[in-house]
Amino acid sequence: MRKYDYINALLSILVALVIGGIVVAFMGHNPMEAFVQLFNGAFIGKFNFGTTLEKFVPLLLAGLAFAVSSKISVFNVGVEGQLYLGAMATAWVGFTFSNLSKVVHVPLALLAGMLAGALFALIPAVLKVYFRVNEVLTTMLLNYVAQFLTSYLVNYPFSGGTGVAQSPPIYESATLSRILLPSRANTGLFIALGVLAIVYWLFYRTTVGYKLRSVGLNPDFTDYIGVNSKKVILGGMMLSGAIGGLAGAIEVMGIHLSFLDNFSSGIGFDGMLAALIARNNFGMVAIISFFIASLKSGALAMERYTGVPKSLIDAIIAVFILFATMEGLFQLRRRAKKEKEVDEHVG
Amino acid sequence: MLDNIFDYTLIPSTIKTSTPILLAALSAVITQQADILNVGVEGIMLFGAFTAVCVSFFTGSWLLAVLAAIVVGLLVSTIIGFAHLKYKADVFAVGTVINMLAVALTRFLLNTILNASGSFYSAEIVPIPTIKLNFLQNSQVLNTLFNNYSLFEVLGIVIVFILWYALYKTVWGLRIRSVGLNPDAAETAGLNVFKAKFQVILISGILGGIAGAHLSLGYSRLFVENMTSGRGFMGVAAMFFGGANPIFAWIGSLIFGLADSIGNRLQAYGFPSQFVLMIPYIATIAVLTISLASRIRKEKKQKSALNHVPNNK
Amino acid sequence: MDRIVEMKNIIKEFPGVKAVDGGQFDLKEGEIHALIGENGAGKSTMMKILYGLYTPDGGTITVKGQEYGGLTTKQAIDLGIGMVHQEFMLVEEMTVLENIILGFEPKKSGNRIDFKKAVEKIEYYIENYGLDIQLNKKVRDISVGEAQRVEIIKTLYRGADILILDEPTAVLTPQETEKLFEIFNNLREDNRSIIFISHKLNEIMEICDRITVMRHGKHVGTVNKEDTTIPEIAKMMVGREVFLNIRRKKPEVGEVLLSVKDVYVPGERELSKIKGISFELHRGEVLGIAGVDGNGQSEIVEAITGLREVEKGDIIFKGKSIKNLSPAQIRKLGISHIPEDRNRRGLNRPFTIRENLIADKFEDKEFSDWIVLNEKKIREFAEDLVEKFDIRPANIDLSAQNLSGGNAQKIVVAREIANEGDLLIASQPTRGVDIGSIESIRRVLNDLKKKGVGILLISADLEEILSLSDRIAVMYEGRITGVLDNEQATEENLGLLMTGGRIE
Repeated sequence: MRKYDYINALLSILVALVIGGIVVAFMGHNPMEAFVQLFNGAFIGKFNFGTTLEKFVPLLLAGLAFAVSSKISVFNVGVEGQLYLGAMATAWVGFTFSNLSKVVHVPLALLAGMLAGALFALIPAVLKVYFRVNEVLTTMLLNYVAQFLTSYLVNYPFSGGTGVAQSPPIYESATLSRILLPSRANTGLFIALGVLAIVYWLFYRTTVGYKLRSVGLNPDFTDYIGVNSKKVILGGMMLSGAIGGLAGAIEVMGIHLSFLDNFSSGIGFDGMLAALIARNNFGMVAIISFFIASLKSGALAMERYTGVPKSLIDAIIAVFILFATMEGLFQLRRRAKKEKEVDEHVG
Repeated sequence: MLDNIFDYTLIPSTIKTSTPILLAALSAVITQQADILNVGVEGIMLFGAFTAVCVSFFTGSWLLAVLAAIVVGLLVSTIIGFAHLKYKADVFAVGTVINMLAVALTRFLLNTILNASGSFYSAEIVPIPTIKLNFLQNSQVLNTLFNNYSLFEVLGIVIVFILWYALYKTVWGLRIRSVGLNPDAAETAGLNVFKAKFQVILISGILGGIAGAHLSLGYSRLFVENMTSGRGFMGVAAMFFGGANPIFAWIGSLIFGLADSIGNRLQAYGFPSQFVLMIPYIATIAVLTISLASRIRKEKKQKSALNHVPNNK
Repeated sequence: MDRIVEMKNIIKEFPGVKAVDGGQFDLKEGEIHALIGENGAGKSTMMKILYGLYTPDGGTITVKGQEYGGLTTKQAIDLGIGMVHQEFMLVEEMTVLENIILGFEPKKSGNRIDFKKAVEKIEYYIENYGLDIQLNKKVRDISVGEAQRVEIIKTLYRGADILILDEPTAVLTPQETEKLFEIFNNLREDNRSIIFISHKLNEIMEICDRITVMRHGKHVGTVNKEDTTIPEIAKMMVGREVFLNIRRKKPEVGEVLLSVKDVYVPGERELSKIKGISFELHRGEVLGIAGVDGNGQSEIVEAITGLREVEKGDIIFKGKSIKNLSPAQIRKLGISHIPEDRNRRGLNRPFTIRENLIADKFEDKEFSDWIVLNEKKIREFAEDLVEKFDIRPANIDLSAQNLSGGNAQKIVVAREIANEGDLLIASQPTRGVDIGSIESIRRVLNDLKKKGVGILLISADLEEILSLSDRIAVMYEGRITGVLDNEQATEENLGLLMTGGRIE
């Protein structure tokens, strides 16, 4: 991220909050009080802070999944679908194997989720690499396929039989321990932060990362130095899908404890937006995800104490993201004709 | 029982379920022709649906309601236009944000303006009229097949042909398509690419507004939180299915509508509907892949050194 | 005949290069005027200035009696200037007819396109100038030659009487070229004027009335066709400057290193397809491949280095077939490659100098442990190369896009030479590079040869070919038209071979 990207993000937050404050004032509430409650609701008290963390984990992972794909110049809109299939695979491992010890069951369930996500992400990657099918399109359409498929599974073969569309509960041995009770925050947080560290390390300290970054910036160069760009794209998409799948796995193992039909309702897209605002900078993805998660959990408390509806905060989040996705909204950058000529001449 | 699922009533029910998808698809077609993937259709539609219910409820006029939905559609698309064209925001991101904003804001306004939560229904909501042809009432079959369609279920088809005509027969359409296919060529022909793209985004807003109004006042007669529930996206998928051609997109919408109708009936009899609902999405991917695969094969043949007369076909 | 265009003392600078320096050009009504020169001589820049795509930094342009300091594209079109670019500006998915009228459509009521009226107008050009095209076909389905005729009609349809064609024959087969020249003649008879940019001297002598030669951005001379000969023009084009100070030693030729046997390779264009090429390269020898760009040089290089499929024939390196092996395998066997386009392939521009220098070695045991990069070793290696090759600025953490052309090219050369391969393929190794870097890069190549490395040198710059190569093969339309020893080769006879001629 360049310097003005940070400025852009900060100013976007500010403008969105000001707009929100004005609306709150119009509704006859005190904006300062609303913001204080918003802050308290996000950070003060175990439950509140726990809820923030609970929302932060899937956002961070979905954002990382999207950022990883972006780094290899693939626009993976399918994180949502990868998340669903990952969650399903994890749930299956969780409710099927009964007599495993936690040490085995938890990693197995996590791996199953990652594998499912990775394989599902491989489909659009293969179509893109070998048939040049636009991945935005395929991933978008495959999201629905994933949703219908998992919906079928939990309504029929894997139905928990409770009348609600959900799978049987996973065994205790496959759950992630809760932290900060009574919130639903869980040790998935450490897994997610671990993934953040690993992804960063992988991209900037290893040969694998060198290839991934190289192919994202210049596939022709990558082939020329003897690295098969197609294979790297396939691998990178599998990594992206695995992270998406992991997000689903943690939701199942730490939050819902079974696969709930249609449980995500857009985590993948929220993560994508966080990554876009962060210009795919891994550290920034974490910061933006945390910010959005805080607003979301703070909004619940604010609604309780001030009567300002949560939907308003959701709208403000949307306005913030809208501003933040615009490049150069808060500064004027003009490309002169001369600059364009030079580009052409060099290119 | 299969008879109950696959009987002639499936035809009108397909038309009814496909129309909101069709209107959304047309909204996506017009921008796609200028190479803009407008996933914000879903949000525009939701805004339109809410506006229409509100205006219809307060004024008692369906016409004013539709007009208001169009105005709101224009407003939202103006935001999309500026964000994408002027401030270079990724168009997919803008669309997604608009969808988020639509869900949150309509929920908020539902609480504050209509004092309702979850959904809003009132006898005072005036729906978009249906077309009644009295002479058909004598035959039950004909009556079911051809009567009692909501206004936009008929107009939607008219719009298909208007768009087709505008895109493929007029000067305007030629220019729009050239902007989408090769902006450099359009620019050297003296066309204003920015203006052309903005135009189609605005038209997309109008169509999206209509789609929303039809959803809440024609297809149903109420507003429910997030009531579009993916119809906008289905429209985008139908647009892809049809390769951004309005007529083929119409066929795509019918396939989506048909799957939806069959799915509903299967569900009613306790059968899994998911596989039927999945088919149109998989079919769209298959259509795209096959067409690209054949193009790649052709290119490879053209480049081959063993192919001696590729220039004089 | 009146002068309808006069360009005087044109200057155009890009950062680091004077693309045009004191350019002169004039055009008479109803003539065909050739503008020729080597790559980078400034021909295209001159014409882009005339067409209003570039604003000149100095000089005047007079069109039809009116003087301008610079034109906009719109002004140029209004003045009746039309340009057919090397890359066609056509919408592939649309029909020929739609492409021609785009932006200038005749209308009927209801904003409908009046196709009938458009066709009538176009028919006139088709019949009068012999521009036969199929109006209802999609551009995607027509041949390159036909697409070019569409471009010509497009400019005429927009009212052009001054046509600029940027290397129009580069993409054509000989038959299509003949057809194009007939069209030129018809246009000339109708008193329209044509500016024809080309490299191919025999074509120019066939069709043009006058010839203007440019070299290194400067005007060399303007001559009437009747008063000159092909060898004379070739000399004007290439110049007779002293060769850069490389003392080429007669090689001590070793065993055969690389042998290419009747190879067929697919090409981006009809003329660049490789249709049966054979040659051999020995240790300690520089084999130069001369030719006008786009005659298959890129394709043959890509085929040897594993970047392009070989459809037929075989490539043997050190006794083993390397046909259709992966680029990585071929590199490992000892083939280094300086690619023709450093921005597209040779460098990953956003990457740092260090990352670019290590690009083919980061997976070697020396520089990584399992998958972990050994930053310390990599830094040492990069620092060392930066010093040895005098890459400036000498900061290995700087992104490669901040470097000048010469220094950027040195990164590529340094990386490839650090490979210590047995064969180096150097494609346009000094293109777009400053004089100082040219000299140092050429010296490096010459030194490598002395160490027994075989070098395949591909260059469109004859002077470079002559100063470095022991033998010279000339490529024309995907075939080798002749192989000469350095001693036999002159600019004249190379020029002939390059333009499709023969040596008796």
